[in-house]
Amino acid sequence: MKIAVAGKGGAGKTTVSGTLARALGRAGHTVLALDADANPMLGISLGVGPERTEELISVRQALDDGEEEHQPTAEGMVEAFGADAPDGVRLVVVTRIDQYDPG
Amino acid sequence: MHIAVIGKGGSGKSVMAGTLARVLARRGREVLTLDSDMMPGLALSLGLGPNSAAMLTDAVEKNEQGRWRLRKGIGPVRAIERYSVLAPDGVRHLQCGKLDTEGRPAIMGSINGYYQVIHRLSRSRSFHKWTIIGDLPAGPRQVAYRWAPYADTFVLMVEPSWKSALTARRIMAILNSSPGATVLPVASKVTDAGDLRAIEQMLGQEIVAVIPADRELAIAERAGLAPIDYAPHSPAVRAIEAFADTLEERVEPQRQAA
Repeated sequence: MKIAVAGKGGAGKTTVSGTLARALGRAGHTVLALDADANPMLGISLGVGPERTEELISVRQALDDGEEEHQPTAEGMVEAFGADAPDGVRLVVVTRIDQYDPG
Repeated sequence: MHIAVIGKGGSGKSVMAGTLARVLARRGREVLTLDSDMMPGLALSLGLGPNSAAMLTDAVEKNEQGRWRLRKGIGPVRAIERYSVLAPDGVRHLQCGKLDTEGRPAIMGSINGYYQVIHRLSRSRSFHKWTIIGDLPAGPRQVAYRWAPYADTFVLMVEPSWKSALTARRIMAILNSSPGATVLPVASKVTDAGDLRAIEQMLGQEIVAVIPADRELAIAERAGLAPIDYAPHSPAVRAIEAFADTLEERVEPQRQAA
């Protein structure tokens, strides 16, 4: 199953996404959690903690900074940029905005 | 007084912006509200219906390079006079492009027109007589793209949650790269002293005002009505009135002295 969660700010998107991912992970699914919010907070709801959530660097940012090589495959990107959350969930942050005029 | 209200989604930005605008207008100020969120949250908090906001679509044209420009003869002040709507207490309200039946091209023109209005506004003569309250969409994105160039004071709404506090910290980090901005953290949806302590700890910063969690406010929002009309004596509206005192007595004189 491939699920996207949408709605207004504060509606509970991140809480539902994170809890659903953990529940499905516990039920034996191989779960990939993608945070495509420019203000990524999925790490909080998945339970990786605020410090780790702040450390997670976005795929986009890492590529823009030239710190990471482009990966030829989606699997490579998940491997290179992802982080492990509880219940076997793999978390990847897609975008994040940290500066004025990021281009 | 030129203010932008910022913070995570659901942290109470529109309620703060709309109620503050109405309070300051009642005190005799000429208030202009600017909603750069395409969903009409501020319009509702001001007491306008969801469909009353005007679009800047007719104020723009494409130039020879195919870029949207305000039409000849329409400066930012005229655009505001023509395309803002009048909210209760004499508040003028300008809405960024919103979804309508005309589809994407119309919206793009409207958004570009709005962006030019807010960027040219601070050079207009009317700028200093206006009290401006801007409502920004959730998160750091629009702060990063300079969607509040008119603001000298940023009211940063923070709820008692890590998501809200981390969002606030990211926004503060972005604002710190912009010299001269005053950032005022405001605690929102506070139930008890523990909430307030948690917010200050997570934020690493002192709070300048506390807006309590308020059932009456939630009911006003459910009904789509302005909190100041529906629940004028509710604790949250009272707290926003007290925050308006703080802005007028402390923040504005300090900024003028500086």
